[in-house]
Amino acid sequence: MTSIDSREAASALSDIDSIVHRVRQSRIYDLTSLMLILWGALTFAGYLVTYLSPRHAGYAWIAVYVTGTVGWALISASNRARSGIRSFDIRILAAFLLFVAFGIFSSVWLGHFTPRQMGTFWPIYFMLVYTIAGLWVGQAFVAIGLSIIALTLVGYFYIGEAFPLWMAFVNGGGLILGGLWMRRS
Amino acid sequence: MAELDDIIHQPLRLKIMAALNALPAAASGLEFSRLKKLTGATDGNLGAHIETLAKAGYVAVEKAFVGKKPQTTVTATAAGRGAFARHVATLQEIIAASARQP
Repeated sequence: MTSIDSREAASALSDIDSIVHRVRQSRIYDLTSLMLILWGALTFAGYLVTYLSPRHAGYAWIAVYVTGTVGWALISASNRARSGIRSFDIRILAAFLLFVAFGIFSSVWLGHFTPRQMGTFWPIYFMLVYTIAGLWVGQAFVAIGLSIIALTLVGYFYIGEAFPLWMAFVNGGGLILGGLWMRRS
Repeated sequence: MAELDDIIHQPLRLKIMAALNALPAAASGLEFSRLKKLTGATDGNLGAHIETLAKAGYVAVEKAFVGKKPQTTVTATAAGRGAFARHVATLQEIIAASARQP
């Protein structure tokens, strides 16, 4: 029979806590990476339409949000079947809708933002949440969030007509690269 | 006081069991490559310890092909989950007993 003292027992429990934390983080990264790649591709398409055909930008962004939400639900359902972990429910959907509604309230009704300001506000607004979530769930979120916020501001202040194209690569491309990076970490 | 489980107590096996127990019982387990990354073990070492746990009935090993790539998935069995929970309870008891001593 193995006999150990309290110091060794505490060390073993600390090892267990550390592994449990890493497993949870790894599963969060697994699921989130798919979401980031999905939203990255959609966002890239949204900005590209905004750049090439500004008149259709409104429709494009509605399509981005609808497709993204449906895709999010499908990825979550597939993840739940595979891992037994529920990651999408009515409260999460409600939180997302409230978040988007507050963004619309602030940028459209309250702020009357120009298209350029809209294109800057929304990525920063979304990335702020990623960054805050990263303080709890993992540094990758903080790195992705802050990088995209910084590059978005660079685009807003220094990029001219090509701003939507810049944002397609910075926001859409950034999310895709972030998702791929998470899959490797 | 309950006894420590000699099979689980080995450091790498403890990490393997901790990782598998962190998943819900309904989950499909962890792939070998993921376990390797999480535990920091080498292929040979990890394989040997998984085999020890499998012989004790604490984990189930499933080998399959995903496309053309072989994939090994390791899952904690009900017996493994029970043994791990008892092992953790014993560790906590050791710490509590030590704290009670004057």
